[in-house]
Amino acid sequence: MKQLLKYITIPVLLIGLLPSCHKVTVLATTELTPDVFPQDTTGFISVSGPAYVALRGNFGIEYFFQQSYSTDEAIMPAHNNNWFDGGQNRDMHYHTWTKDNNYVNSNWTWLSTIIGAVNQELSILGKTEPEGAYKQANLAELKTLRAYAYFMMMDNYGNVPIDTLYGDFTPRDKTPRAQVFSFIEGEIKAAIPYLSTTVSTYTYGRFTVYGAYALLAKMYLNAEYYTGTAKYNECIAACDFLINSGKFALTSRASYLQMFYGTNGPASVGSKDEFIFAIPYDATSAGFFGRSANYHARYDVPRSMGKVGTANDGFNYFGIPYKTDGPACTLPEYYANFNDANDIRNKQWLTGLQTKPDGTPLNITTTKAGYDGITYANDNTAYTFQLNLTPNIVLRKTALPFDVSDDEIGWNMGYRNVKFYPDATSSSRNQNNDIPVFRYSDIILMKAEAIQRGGAATLGQTALSLANLLRSVRTTSAAWSTITLDSIYNERCREFAWEGWHRNDVIRFGKYEGTWGFKTNTDTYRRIFPIPTTALTLNPKLTQNPNY
Amino acid sequence: MRKQCSKLPQVFYRILSIFVLTSAVHQPADAAGRYFTGGHEAPPLFKDVKGVVKDVTGNPAGGVTITIKGTRKSKTTGSDGSFSIAANEGDVLVFSGIGFETREVTVTAESVYDIVLNSSSTVLTDVVVVGYGKSSRKSLTSAITTVKPEDLNKGAIADVGQLLQGKVPGLNITASGDPNKPAAVVLRGTASINSPGGPFYVIDGVPGIDISTIAPADIASLDVLKDAAASAIYGNRAANGVIIITTRKGKKGQMQVSYSGYVAAEKVASELKMMNADQLRSFLTTNGMAFTPADDKGAHTDWQKAIEKNTAVSTNHNIAFSGGTDHSSYIASINYLNKPGILQHSNLTRYIARLGIEQSALNDKLKLGLWVTNSNSSADDVPYRNTVLLQSALYMPVSPIKNADGSYFENLSRSGYYNPVSMINNSQMNTKYNNLIGDFTAQAQLPFGITYDLNIAYQNSTSLFGSYLDKYYTSKYNGMYDNPDPTFYAHAVQAFGTNGQAARSSYQATSKMLETFFSWGKSFGSHSVKAVVGYSWQENVAGDGFQATTYNFPVDNIGYLNFALSNPYAFSTQINLGADGIYQKTRLISDFARLNYNYKEKYLLQASVRRDGGSVFGANNQWGYFPSVGVAWRISEESFMKTQNIFSDLKLRGSYGITGNSFGVGAYASQFTIGSLGTYNYNGVLTAAYGPTVAANPDLKWEKIATTNIGVDFAVLGGKINATVEWYNKKTTGMINTYQVDRILVPIGSITANGGTISNKGIEAIVSVAAVNTTKFSWTSSINLAHNVNKIVSLSNPLFAGGDSIPVGFPEGAGKSGTPLAVLKVGHPIGQFNTWQYAGKDATGLSQYVAADGKTLTTNPLKGTDYHYLGNAQPKLLLGWTNTFKYKNIDLNVFLRGVFGNKIFNATRADLFRPSTATLANVLADVAGESIKDVNDDKYSSRYIEKGDYLRLDNATLGYNFKNISPYIKNLRAYTSVNNLFVITGYKGVDPEVNQGGSVPGIDYNNFYPKTRTFLLGVNVSF
Repeated sequence: MKQLLKYITIPVLLIGLLPSCHKVTVLATTELTPDVFPQDTTGFISVSGPAYVALRGNFGIEYFFQQSYSTDEAIMPAHNNNWFDGGQNRDMHYHTWTKDNNYVNSNWTWLSTIIGAVNQELSILGKTEPEGAYKQANLAELKTLRAYAYFMMMDNYGNVPIDTLYGDFTPRDKTPRAQVFSFIEGEIKAAIPYLSTTVSTYTYGRFTVYGAYALLAKMYLNAEYYTGTAKYNECIAACDFLINSGKFALTSRASYLQMFYGTNGPASVGSKDEFIFAIPYDATSAGFFGRSANYHARYDVPRSMGKVGTANDGFNYFGIPYKTDGPACTLPEYYANFNDANDIRNKQWLTGLQTKPDGTPLNITTTKAGYDGITYANDNTAYTFQLNLTPNIVLRKTALPFDVSDDEIGWNMGYRNVKFYPDATSSSRNQNNDIPVFRYSDIILMKAEAIQRGGAATLGQTALSLANLLRSVRTTSAAWSTITLDSIYNERCREFAWEGWHRNDVIRFGKYEGTWGFKTNTDTYRRIFPIPTTALTLNPKLTQNPNY
Repeated sequence: MRKQCSKLPQVFYRILSIFVLTSAVHQPADAAGRYFTGGHEAPPLFKDVKGVVKDVTGNPAGGVTITIKGTRKSKTTGSDGSFSIAANEGDVLVFSGIGFETREVTVTAESVYDIVLNSSSTVLTDVVVVGYGKSSRKSLTSAITTVKPEDLNKGAIADVGQLLQGKVPGLNITASGDPNKPAAVVLRGTASINSPGGPFYVIDGVPGIDISTIAPADIASLDVLKDAAASAIYGNRAANGVIIITTRKGKKGQMQVSYSGYVAAEKVASELKMMNADQLRSFLTTNGMAFTPADDKGAHTDWQKAIEKNTAVSTNHNIAFSGGTDHSSYIASINYLNKPGILQHSNLTRYIARLGIEQSALNDKLKLGLWVTNSNSSADDVPYRNTVLLQSALYMPVSPIKNADGSYFENLSRSGYYNPVSMINNSQMNTKYNNLIGDFTAQAQLPFGITYDLNIAYQNSTSLFGSYLDKYYTSKYNGMYDNPDPTFYAHAVQAFGTNGQAARSSYQATSKMLETFFSWGKSFGSHSVKAVVGYSWQENVAGDGFQATTYNFPVDNIGYLNFALSNPYAFSTQINLGADGIYQKTRLISDFARLNYNYKEKYLLQASVRRDGGSVFGANNQWGYFPSVGVAWRISEESFMKTQNIFSDLKLRGSYGITGNSFGVGAYASQFTIGSLGTYNYNGVLTAAYGPTVAANPDLKWEKIATTNIGVDFAVLGGKINATVEWYNKKTTGMINTYQVDRILVPIGSITANGGTISNKGIEAIVSVAAVNTTKFSWTSSINLAHNVNKIVSLSNPLFAGGDSIPVGFPEGAGKSGTPLAVLKVGHPIGQFNTWQYAGKDATGLSQYVAADGKTLTTNPLKGTDYHYLGNAQPKLLLGWTNTFKYKNIDLNVFLRGVFGNKIFNATRADLFRPSTATLANVLADVAGESIKDVNDDKYSSRYIEKGDYLRLDNATLGYNFKNISPYIKNLRAYTSVNNLFVITGYKGVDPEVNQGGSVPGIDYNNFYPKTRTFLLGVNVSF
């Protein structure tokens, strides 16, 4: 029997061990997993970050292009096929975009990323963060950020799927615009009790209770267009919450322009009073979606006013370390709003003949062909001229679509916006200028517009008094004595140029089907963009928006 | 139980009696007999039976086992064929050996027996390793190809993949000229787009071992498990087939010492035919162009030759000694290989030491074994070697290597243009690898005929990497583009630190493994049953280590050996510590069982199931079942077949099984892992944002590959012709891939998930003919053929899109960024070229292409829109053909290998076919007839899709076996061998053998590495 024991002991022992030897899970102990991270406030802050990093992604570039190039605010024509880029800018201008348009696709993906990042953060923080006021504030703030992303999605694409839970990969149907509106409204209202009331460096770039009310005001102002039901009184109430808070003020005429400089921010003159919610841009920051940068000067500053090869090429007026590309400009229809010589806001434009800071002409030496390749093709005679930005856009290169040609005349067409003033302190073309989303002046003008559209006046303020309140810190011209919706529209054009609101305004004022530049299209269905190809590929349940 | 116990004394008694009697063999028989008399039956009369075993050609047959039937007594013949064994009159001696028909001889009064063994008329008698056991070929129900060491490819080969090239039908192996790149191995067509499709290696029962630890000379046999019925026992690792390698073991008997060695000289066989200085000068002159003065120094430099060695001489020595007693055996071997690459500064030196001992205990009821192998190698390579090779093709032949003052010639005003000789000489790179494998085995004979096996193995692989780019390099070449392998699609700008840059890394990978199983077999009359039940546990850790990069050295002499002397702190970019996610730990646990049943060895059935768990899979799908079933009918055993004399053997097999594949899945791919996602402004400070960089997929599981296999084995003409024909249908479902996801669901936009379906169907055949077999001369010929049809059935996942048309293969040639060569598309095979269609030149000499409508011609075709499906990279036929001739002591082996019916996208040629830039970079000699004005002719198009058919004389070996040289030398063989003697092909590139593995096969891109021809002189001696 001893032999028997000898034979069977080991196998029996091993068989006995078998059940305990079927633990196959290996935890990723060398990676950051939700089991170990985040554990403390620093961690919670870091985990809340990706949604904000994502928010920066397209906002400064592609989102602005979609909001601006589809209106009379700006145009990016081709220059001998350069910057034609498959017609993406042409189609924005002509209102002929399709579901394949790069901006239409990229911005949908971008907004989805913000929403997805928030959902994921809520899922992680919901499990890891200890219960309490800090957690409530943190989650409420992220939900408001998500509501803002949904707002942009609803504004641009109309009917969008609503998804608030991470981990369920089931494709979602589109939700009708009115329901998306209610969802966003509900989310903001639910978050408000927990949001911070501090306005300081600490909350800068994140949603406070004031940012939430500003977003509500914007929602309500557009409610009639979005849902068919006007909510002007609700808009006025949201504006009043901000007015009554006493935390914000209109900045003076002297500091209006500085509000958009690279130095702007929570402590800077101008922006510290007026910015309710802004997206901070730092030239040295890193992103994970899109270009995550502010490249305004790259696109808007004429090539001969950035870093130049030789003195013949122009003059580095802004002292920036890179050659600008300068293909984009405004249209004369839009610039026509800047008709008051006393308005400080005129100074955000580069127009006409350019001089150096010392007052001497900003000259460029090239050849005749280099100056005007259409008239003087192959004429290599030297030619010197003073840089002259001309107001009209002329598609001179008729052989190519949407093309102004790549000679000096072509490159210097159109007035240029330098509101986000070229940033000489950055070593790259990424600028430090933060871009505001909601400014106090918008609250003032929204309230004025809501009253003008039939809302009840409050706090002793009328549409006219509110508009004049703003105008008193922008121009030295006399106050208005009358006000119309159109004059509010014109004021908005002056006040919010290049801030990404123009498409929203143009639609609300019923001018989106108008004509400007080379656009003749009057399709009303183009008030919302098509559901883009990438979205249709990735979510089989999505259906195309009407008429696309 | 009692029966077993009571038997033991008998066994003991019997062993004792053998000792007693063998010591008294020369005593008269009756004296011994009397000793046992006393009312008993006549006792056995032991005597010393001797003799010599020879084959039919009269050559001694070594290694033949002689067993006394019904006992465990056995002996083995020496290399001279002699044997001696103690046996009784009336005992039956069974002579068996690999390659011979088993023969039984009854012991008579004679004591000397000269036995002639017939060569096995059929390979069916071979022993086949099947995974957790062995089987005879005749009782197999599955598709297994066995390759014997003498049939492996010969040559200065360091890679096991190359040893097998062309030897196994259905195994498509492509080796590049680059000796440091392992050959790509694809079994029965590409089954997945995510993996290179390499098979799973099992060495001496240890699964998943690094095959580079095995010296080719130590291989005893190689079994390739091809169908699911064979490989399903390895579950979710077996999808691409399993290759089981058995190494040589010590044998009972005298100590044997053997030596094998060779010297091989490697020469460049083919390289790119670029223009030389005169050709390029006349081409430019003809076209009214000229060199720039900065380039034209009147030199005649062959830049390809300048970075190559004239001859690379490899040496290999292998010494082994082995021996054993009735209860123990041992083997020890040491292997040295020095293989200098054909490129300057490239070299591989490798030592492999191996020791194995086996010892029986507890009356031979327990057999213990310990196997230890250590492989240590040092590889010298050239940093940015692909860039160096590219430059050697592009660099102007009119420029000298060095200026008159001894400094290297450079023309750095041109971007992406560097002196390749200077690149080699101003940099260094070395990696030292050490690979230790320890394997403890125990086998116990338990009651009821049960055998218990335990196998505990440990593998530890370390790598120590160092590279140094000197001050010249970091100052001249800073900001250069690298030229990566085609699997990576983007050229990246290389930013170097100032004043020399050194990088080091040290990583360790360990694998712990335990496998244990019970086997049992019994025959009941005509019924025979075998069963195996087992358990396997494995834990792997990879990437345990670190890396660092530093720069700013006072002098260059230090190289990468002393980081402390660098001063990276002087600059804002600091030491680089490498990427996140290198350390990976995985665990695999399995239970498995197999049952074999046969009736009269006529009707055979095998069924197996493996339950596999893997940590890399999602929490919901960690465990899976991999079943298989196989049946076979040995028709030749039927009574109605006895009357015919066409087939000496005929077997029909059929099997179905499911295997899994998890290759290409990172250890934590199914888990939420968090990494850096940029920075954002928080409280006025740029704060790190951390978020999931890998999306959790709790449903992630292995790919499933279901294979149906039908095979016929037959032997005709009395065994002169043996053949096996297999048909298979292999279907991958739930293909693992990185699928695109709606970012609202997963903000990083991708997820590792299961989805697509890929189908492979094919036919394979091996035919061996013993054409001539006389005592003096023999000729055997073996040919293997394989045909496979591959098709993508689906590329999507129910939840995640994936996409129907995925463009792949971006060579990123100059001016051709973002231009794909192939597409993964449903209904098409992997390797479907999709590009512009060349349509000759227009009147102005500008290349034209066919527009999307298939009619209109354009000089400016649109990317994507104007693409056409133009050929497929997968071959229609693979061929391997071996001929062995023996005349007396001379043998000659000739091996030809061919690939037919495939297309190659010669992107290398396209990129060097730019007449319009011939003043800036050298062009192929073939460009001579082109116009310098055709700015359009280097576009990736059908013009560069070529037929890839080739037939290569891969190896020819002539050997001579010396007989009876000395009593001390048992065997001496000298041979000479040549590799890659010639290639018959119409292909215009360096060599038509381009990678056919992975998801983008058949693209000749960066194929600058010269192909070599090797002449080898070798000797094998045993003492």
